[in-house]
Amino acid sequence: MRRLLTALCLVAASLPAAAQTPRNTAVLMREIDADRYDPVRSTARSAGEVIYMMSDTLVSMDWDMQTIRPGLAERWEVSPDGKTYTFHLRGDVTFCDGRPMVADDVVYTIKRWIDPATRSPVAWRAGKVRDIRATDAHTVVYELEEPFSELLAQLTLFFASVVDRNSVERLGANFGVQGFNGTGPYCWESWTPRQDLVLTRHPNYRWGPPIFENRGPAQIERVIWRVIPEATARLAALQTGAADATQYIPNVALDQLRRVPSVTVTTQPNYLWDFYMAFKIDKPFVNDATARRAMAMAINKPALVRAVWFGHAQPAVNIVNPVALDYDAASDALVPGFDPPGAMKLLDEAGWVMGSDGVRVKDGVRASFLTYGINTLENERQSEIMQQALRRIGVEMRIQFFDATVAWGRMATQEFGAVFLSYPYFSAGDALNLYFPSTQRPSPNRMNWNDPQTDAWLAEARSATDPAVRASALANVQRRLAENNVWITTAREQLFVGASNRVTGARAHGLYGVGLYKALDLRVVR
Amino acid sequence: MLRHAAERIALALPVLLGVVLVGFLLMQVVPTDPAIVRAGPNATIDIVEAIRRDLGLDQPLHVQFGLYMWRLVQGDLGVSIINNVPVSQELGATIGPTLELMFAALIWSIPLGIGMGTLSAYLRGSWLDRLIMAISVGGVSVPVFFVGLLLIWFVGFQWQWLPFTGRQGPLWTLQGLRGVALPAITLGGVFIGPVARMTRTAVLEVLSADHVRTARAKGLTETAVVLHHALRNALIPVVTLIGLQIGFLLGGAVVTETVFSWPGVGRLAVGAITSSDFPMAQGTIIVLSGGFIIVNLIVDLLYGVLDPRVRGA
Amino acid sequence: MSAALSARPSVLRLVFRDVAAAAAASFLLLVVLAALFAPWLAPVDPYETDLMSVMTPPGGDYILGTDGQGRDMLSRLLFGLRMTLLMGVAALVVGGVIGVSIGLIAAHWRRLDGVLMRLMDVMLSFPAILFGLALAAIFGPGLVAVVIALSVATVPLMARIARSTALVVMAQDYIEAARATGMGSFRLIRRHLAPNCVAPLLVFATLRLGQVILLGSALSFLGLGAQAPTAELGAMAAQGRTFLFFAPHIAVIPSLAIFGIVLACNVLGDALRDALDPKLRP
Repeated sequence: MRRLLTALCLVAASLPAAAQTPRNTAVLMREIDADRYDPVRSTARSAGEVIYMMSDTLVSMDWDMQTIRPGLAERWEVSPDGKTYTFHLRGDVTFCDGRPMVADDVVYTIKRWIDPATRSPVAWRAGKVRDIRATDAHTVVYELEEPFSELLAQLTLFFASVVDRNSVERLGANFGVQGFNGTGPYCWESWTPRQDLVLTRHPNYRWGPPIFENRGPAQIERVIWRVIPEATARLAALQTGAADATQYIPNVALDQLRRVPSVTVTTQPNYLWDFYMAFKIDKPFVNDATARRAMAMAINKPALVRAVWFGHAQPAVNIVNPVALDYDAASDALVPGFDPPGAMKLLDEAGWVMGSDGVRVKDGVRASFLTYGINTLENERQSEIMQQALRRIGVEMRIQFFDATVAWGRMATQEFGAVFLSYPYFSAGDALNLYFPSTQRPSPNRMNWNDPQTDAWLAEARSATDPAVRASALANVQRRLAENNVWITTAREQLFVGASNRVTGARAHGLYGVGLYKALDLRVVR
Repeated sequence: MLRHAAERIALALPVLLGVVLVGFLLMQVVPTDPAIVRAGPNATIDIVEAIRRDLGLDQPLHVQFGLYMWRLVQGDLGVSIINNVPVSQELGATIGPTLELMFAALIWSIPLGIGMGTLSAYLRGSWLDRLIMAISVGGVSVPVFFVGLLLIWFVGFQWQWLPFTGRQGPLWTLQGLRGVALPAITLGGVFIGPVARMTRTAVLEVLSADHVRTARAKGLTETAVVLHHALRNALIPVVTLIGLQIGFLLGGAVVTETVFSWPGVGRLAVGAITSSDFPMAQGTIIVLSGGFIIVNLIVDLLYGVLDPRVRGA
Repeated sequence: MSAALSARPSVLRLVFRDVAAAAAASFLLLVVLAALFAPWLAPVDPYETDLMSVMTPPGGDYILGTDGQGRDMLSRLLFGLRMTLLMGVAALVVGGVIGVSIGLIAAHWRRLDGVLMRLMDVMLSFPAILFGLALAAIFGPGLVAVVIALSVATVPLMARIARSTALVVMAQDYIEAARATGMGSFRLIRRHLAPNCVAPLLVFATLRLGQVILLGSALSFLGLGAQAPTAELGAMAAQGRTFLFFAPHIAVIPSLAIFGIVLACNVLGDALRDALDPKLRP
């Protein structure tokens, strides 16, 4: 049998390897599929990475993750009170079906996004909208109830992608499932869930963001987004040229991959994607602030991050990344360092008595909690390590992880005591406004953090027109959260995009965690 | 003959019905309410109730089963609660690759297994017999995923001879052939063991039968006896036994598909179960079970055609 | 030629059989002992993470290296053996008790025979992996679902063997005699039928243990059985799959362990079967 096996392999190997990806087609790999590709109905990166290619936003984000650049709007003005934005649209934009895009399409898109009937989980990102209207075919007036300092940055996110009203109405609930019609550099061709999503070039595309050398049309005729859940399979495909690019590279493989001559790895220093464990602060045991502090002290974050991310991520301290706008350094000092004996002492003093099974008890409550999360490799590894670290101080952490497709539903419930998550953001305000207003309960404010003072500071920061006022309000929030140990932020991930030598121009972008953004410079060279 | 066929089909039908019933009950006992899952995280009670009515979940159980059967007959297996894609559509897309993989695995492993088994029986007691039987025992003892991982590691990764990243194209293209090679070697590899063992036993049994002894007594050489009498007569039980091993093959296929990211029904089933996509899980289980029952039925009928004793009965 | 062939091998075969069977039996004994005494044999806690030595290859401070979370592979292997064997034995015992009862009932009360055996045929025609998938779908992935699935798949096989053995016993004269003395059904089964089934069932159980472990670990590998961080061989192999190209020992060690156990079960089972009754085949 073995000889035959070898013989078979030899035969198959001697066949020409030419039968690779067809010419001018690029295969991009990812780990999971999205449930749908409707901008307002999905918050998944796996939806965003495709939607960015199929559609455009009013404004776009530069590589520095801070500067706003033109998109569908070639220029815009903001009124002195910060409440009215006027966008002047390009005149040459068409949808994939050839219909010219006009101001009414933008108005329809934003109104659909914020319509309560749409039930978009991210409608708050559009600000408190008073009205949006088209004053002529190429001018959109965006009027707010109160200033929103982050509006332009929020409008670069794919949730605000302009879509074709006719397609939305024709496809109904199947918009983004059976078809899509946007103005992006690529157009929807077909989708086989959990396998391939095929895009074709939008031939008339000329309106790419100025951050790309090529503003359109795209240089590749077909793009295939292929789901390959197994990390090893993705790696091998990249090395053998069976696929062309991916950002889903296991950290363990990075050093090795960088040494492979046929693969280029680019990175993006201005990348914000953090991992954290959040406590639901009104659940038994984790509602004790002292216990939360002790748990934070039980975990050796630098060692954890080195072990789980193999040195390719930074250990985190408090919630916000130091490179983010409005980061407050003083709040980092409030987060306790690694100190297991101190943690034991803290728990002892708080009355948590060690039980015979190694789990502490106080007033009949066991020092035990359930965590939910998505079953990613990082989550599984870091949670098992943290579970062990907490066991050493007499705390039992039970882990229940779910496939990404159902995890979001389960994490919106009140069933758990803590949750493992990771997320993209672009500033302190973005991160804190996403998670900590009391109005964001139960999801994404899964912590049930309900603090009027936090709400007031966040409101102050949102409507501030003076950057200093905003920064100080946000610093207050960061300190308050650090003092309460609401999160144990573990790692700040970095973005790496690996590309085979079949393609060039795969530069890591990283907006909302998406590696390739519009991929306008991506080119097949062999 | 006809009576035999009718009897077999009459037996298979209630089993099929049982599978469908189990599939239906599966949806009843699951701890998660399909309406809540379908409605999504931000749904209000009204929306959940509306969905429940849409799905007919407010009807009594027997009415629900009727509805379910009626939909099933029309090929409607429901819609994935995860991406709203019809289950039948996903199944339609994955059955092909699964059959392709099984075909590619059987096409080389059955002849090889039969050859090995016959050789083993012919040279019974020799070192070659021992070796073949040792390989067979090893084959039935090795975890499928281990074979797959080793092939991926060496053939796919170290030597980079063959792709291991799933289906590369239709079987009749070069690309498709290269893509199916490693999964087919994995799945076929673990199938050789049982086939060789069964063949050896069957051939040995036939060799001790009267007419073979007569043939030997007539002075025919051992080779002629084995080839002309024993093997031919042994093939009937072997074919049947191979049919009975379809379950074994199915299990191997589920693992092989998962290890090699092969877009088949087995991988779909595992994915649906781990993500609590109940309609999809139910659909895959019905299709896998139904396919299994039908294959068994065909093998049964084939046996009737091949073996005159059954025909007469 | 054929004479020469058949004269030599009978000796060779016996020796080979014996050596292989003895080796298999000793190996299994060793595995069972290792599993039983895992808490005392394991150098460290199998769940203890050493963040300074993640994925260290075998040979250093950690004899079999560490896994992706810096846990000692040797300790995990020992506890994994325990969990995997427990799963297999539990499935055998549950499936065996139910199956043997059904078989004995069918053999004793002949009126039930047809219905029961037809039911067993139907169950038998169903692949265990499908039971596994269905039960994991119903109960959610976990060891319990796997044990139930494997038990269900074992019931019809045990029933058949118990029934056929019991039928042979029933035809013996002493049973007639016992009946004539007015011995009750249950007593008859307990005193005469059940003890006679023990030997063939044990042989079969040895063979079946291998199959059950193979199936159970496959289900765990698919993520439908034991859940992380539980040390179970199939689940450990699944965890190691991610690091196959970087730390192959994490996947290879548990896989080899499964291979070894199943192989030993099969070799020993084959030898026992040949010794006891060459005709006995499930």
